[in-house]
Amino acid sequence: MKKNELSHEDIKQLLNHSAAQLDKPTLTRLHQAREQAMAHHATHCIEPVFSRAGHAVWHAFGTQHKSRLWAATLLVALILFSATAYWNQNAKPDTTDVDIAILTDDLPIHFYVE
Amino acid sequence: MIQIMYLIRHHLLAFSITLFLFLPTIAGAQTWENLTPIQQEALAPLSQQWNTLQALQQQRLINLAKRYPQLDAMKKQRLHNRLEKWSKLTPEQRDRAREKFQAFSKVPLEKREQVKQMVRQHEAEKLNTPAATPPLANMP
Repeated sequence: MKKNELSHEDIKQLLNHSAAQLDKPTLTRLHQAREQAMAHHATHCIEPVFSRAGHAVWHAFGTQHKSRLWAATLLVALILFSATAYWNQNAKPDTTDVDIAILTDDLPIHFYVE
Repeated sequence: MIQIMYLIRHHLLAFSITLFLFLPTIAGAQTWENLTPIQQEALAPLSQQWNTLQALQQQRLINLAKRYPQLDAMKKQRLHNRLEKWSKLTPEQRDRAREKFQAFSKVPLEKREQVKQMVRQHEAEKLNTPAATPPLANMP
């Protein structure tokens, strides 16, 4: 380490020294800012997992407004696709009557298949 | 726990996409073990391949099984004999068979009976033919 380079201890001392020279209103404002930051940090830690996951996804698309718009569009498209596929599957007509008739009829299945 | 949180946080998007894409398949799928004893009895010939069937096909077969207790012994036997072949058909083949059956049902009863008689004769001939023909004729 170079001789004229400041160590962590030096920096701490200089900051403490500078802080001691600040006027009272500034010190009060700094103290309030620190309290707020600490409170925010505590809230952040107990934030629910899914909220954090949501933020992670949100940030995965970058901070650009356009990217987030694409992300939202993609999500909506996926939900629509899935809902449509699910609805189509459930909306198929009930074939039970015909199926049971074919499977128990006195004519063999291949008569209807071939 | 930390690993799970890490996975959720970093792979939530992949999870969501997979879940959305496979939701139609996941929803409605039933395992053989989840079926009631009556459903299992009705669908017994399909016990081996049940878990490989598509959800829609499973649902249709479960609907069939609901009617099983009301069938007489002969129809129960026919159902069991035909279920495997029926399940192996493609969805298009089954749709075609349903169309053909419905069309045939609209044919006048007399005509229908004639056709059934012809088919029965044809089936009987087919059953007798292999025994009458030499073994080489059965080769593919």
